[in-house]
Amino acid sequence: MKRFLKSFAATSAIALCFAVSSIAPANAQSKDELVWGDTLPSGLDPHVVYDVYMQTFMLNTYDGLYRYLGNPIELVPWLATSHEVSDDGMTWTFNLRQDATFHDGSPLTADDVVYSFKRLLEIGRGPSGALAPVLKPENITKVDDSTVQFLLNEPYAPFLATLPLVSIVNQELVTANEVNGDNGTAWLASNEAGSGAYIFDPDTYVPQEKVDLKRNKTHFYGWSDNADPIDVVRAYPVKETSTRVLALMRDDIQATDGYLPPDQVAKIDSTDGVSVRRDESMRVMVIRMNNSKPPFDNINFRKCVSYAFQYDGFINVVLKGLVSRNSGPIPNNLWGVPEDATGYTYDPDAAKKYCDKAREEGAPLDRTLEIHIQSELDQTTQAAQLLQQGLSEYGVNVELVASTWASLTSSTGSAESSPDMWVHWVSTYFVDPENWIGQMYDSSFHGTWKASSWYKNAKVDELLRQGRKETDRNKRNAAYGEAYKIIVDEAADLWIYNTIALRGVSDRLTGIKFSPVGSGAEFRWMSLAD
Amino acid sequence: MLRFIIIRLLLLIPVLLGLLLMTFVLLGLAEGDPAAAIAGDNATPEQIQRIREELGIDKPVIAQFGAYVVNVVQGDFGVSAYSNRAVGADIAQRLPATLELTFVSLLIAAVLGIGFGTLAALWRNSVFDYLVRIVSVAGLAMASFWIAIMLQLLFSMQLDLLPLRGRLPSGMEAPAVLTGSYLLDSLLTGRIDAFVQSLRHILLPALTISLGGIATIARFTRSAVVTTLQTEYTTYEEAAGFPRRRIVFPYALRNSLVTPVTQIGLLFGAFISSAVAVEAVFDWPGIGSYLVQAIFNSDFQAVLAVTLVIGAVYGLVNIAVDLAHALLDRRVAERL
Repeated sequence: MKRFLKSFAATSAIALCFAVSSIAPANAQSKDELVWGDTLPSGLDPHVVYDVYMQTFMLNTYDGLYRYLGNPIELVPWLATSHEVSDDGMTWTFNLRQDATFHDGSPLTADDVVYSFKRLLEIGRGPSGALAPVLKPENITKVDDSTVQFLLNEPYAPFLATLPLVSIVNQELVTANEVNGDNGTAWLASNEAGSGAYIFDPDTYVPQEKVDLKRNKTHFYGWSDNADPIDVVRAYPVKETSTRVLALMRDDIQATDGYLPPDQVAKIDSTDGVSVRRDESMRVMVIRMNNSKPPFDNINFRKCVSYAFQYDGFINVVLKGLVSRNSGPIPNNLWGVPEDATGYTYDPDAAKKYCDKAREEGAPLDRTLEIHIQSELDQTTQAAQLLQQGLSEYGVNVELVASTWASLTSSTGSAESSPDMWVHWVSTYFVDPENWIGQMYDSSFHGTWKASSWYKNAKVDELLRQGRKETDRNKRNAAYGEAYKIIVDEAADLWIYNTIALRGVSDRLTGIKFSPVGSGAEFRWMSLAD
Repeated sequence: MLRFIIIRLLLLIPVLLGLLLMTFVLLGLAEGDPAAAIAGDNATPEQIQRIREELGIDKPVIAQFGAYVVNVVQGDFGVSAYSNRAVGADIAQRLPATLELTFVSLLIAAVLGIGFGTLAALWRNSVFDYLVRIVSVAGLAMASFWIAIMLQLLFSMQLDLLPLRGRLPSGMEAPAVLTGSYLLDSLLTGRIDAFVQSLRHILLPALTISLGGIATIARFTRSAVVTTLQTEYTTYEEAAGFPRRRIVFPYALRNSLVTPVTQIGLLFGAFISSAVAVEAVFDWPGIGSYLVQAIFNSDFQAVLAVTLVIGAVYGLVNIAVDLAHALLDRRVAERL
């Protein structure tokens, strides 16, 4: 018995022994290595995948003709040195810089630019949606080695603003890796063919788990404005928020994602050596209403819903004031918002009045309404519950339906299959009112998730199309302003807040330059202290 | 024996086909096709329709299923609609991590579970017995992701003994791939540093997963040993003056292990499913977290392939369990 006990004790103690016997040296991290804890894009082809995480990868490993920098955001020439637009707003000519080279050392020329735009349009995914309606592949031409010309189908003022969406890829490298005419998509999904400030290391890449980026010392922009750049960035995403925050506190990672939940903010702020950056971004939270379905086709009911939501309670209590109220379909920190814009506030009396009115007009308010939430995003549930509770006061029954981004966006293909209501954000894909109000409320975008309220107003259509065609900024501003007022007055949707990006960072990490595009994840400006 | 193995392997085929069909139908019912998500955030309706055609989602389910089975038989799991990467390659890269985690968890669960269970049976109704009972009920009742976070807080944050996440420290080179298990590969290639680090990294996630298993195995072992100790042959052995440890160790324990071993086979499936949550908390780069991502993206090819692979592994493990029975019990071996 004794021997048995002994042998058992020995076996069962093995696990503990290892734990105790191998107390590791503290995480010795060199000052030239940054561990970045934010999510990686699901694939690496910048012409296929397009989401917030892709922006990080694109901004660091690729270059575009133009680039967004800073906050307030500014559009600056990047691979282009200058451009001209014809008077009709349809022919755009870009002069390219001649000192840019790809990571394999070959020069970046007009051929690569033409190839990249054509490839994007041919694949027809990712960011091409912003360009496809106005640009045909055959209308992209090389004038000479350093000049490219685009002939648009119609005048399109946001064209320049959409250019940072398009990464320029190395034509020779991508075509060399084509398989069965796939445009190199299989290869580029796990590789990189760019010219950016950091170089992707394919040997270290495990999809969605990790990848190392090395500094491109010969990048055309130079490194003179950063005395102490970071040589190696290990993108090492931490999936769970709680683990992510702990990892930051342990200095396993030096930066979290940019959308920390408010309850984690205080925890980080109260810890030595780490803090949360707060930067006003451009990302508007919206509760969509399907304006084509009764009772949402009744304007008084929509107003009732708009007055029934506790905006202040949601923003100040649930989100602890870490966002800013945005009462219309353009982020407040962008142009196009009319100066005398007013939105809705929580007003139980007004809500009751409008709901009663809607009932009198025969709107079917006794039908159970569905609000679809995105299961993986807690805030969508919180907002939906608050609205559910608000509306129950007026005898309106709302039911929460759990869903995912993928199934919601596919359901918005037709008015019938679009949910009664759903909760989402509209992020910055390109910085122009077109990205928000233009694509959300022009009826020609019906069938896309952005236009899923199925709002239709001939006057608004006309104004938004005018805003799209007009090249004069003042006239555009006026058109968007007028459309904004009509849409808010007709209570097409509920606009809740504009996001303040909340990224936990180590105090050792300095030099972050925030921009609503990419959320400050451009490594070239950063330094890491010991 | 060989014939038994072959028959069991053949039987696995219809099981997997059925599994595949069920997953296929369920995915079809869950409406929502991935085309809009793939098309990207600025897509036009025409782009979405084009992708739908490319993916063949516009065809009837039966045609899709047939095409899929034909591809899988040829070893082609398709391409992830979302990332454009071959699903087979992604799974091949990730499966070893999950298997390593699951097997280490099983090992911990088996050693501790059988040990605690035997001791509880020997010291029936003692304080130790009650303690095992309380702890094992608690181990079954607690949610694994909660335990995971608690273990992190204690061992990584408070005591700073074990790493918080991952398989290796960031920046450490992984051992050359032989089996895909870092523990084995690092030993085989003589990378002691990598071995120590992988062991330290696997402890917390493996312990988290194994807790429920320790509880189950301990309970089953206890009752089996208690029953065996009441049989006539133990009474005879006692009367004949066999020392207690001789009675317990080779005779009673061996005869009591059939039920716990069956449990271990069943636990394997439970462990893989709890790996989904645990892998996410510990950033373990296995198929659990891959599956979660695939579900959120409606990436059907990936969901199907992971389901199929887990089903196949589960089937194989159960064959292995039956063989283990044969080793424990000669009577079973004769029937094989």
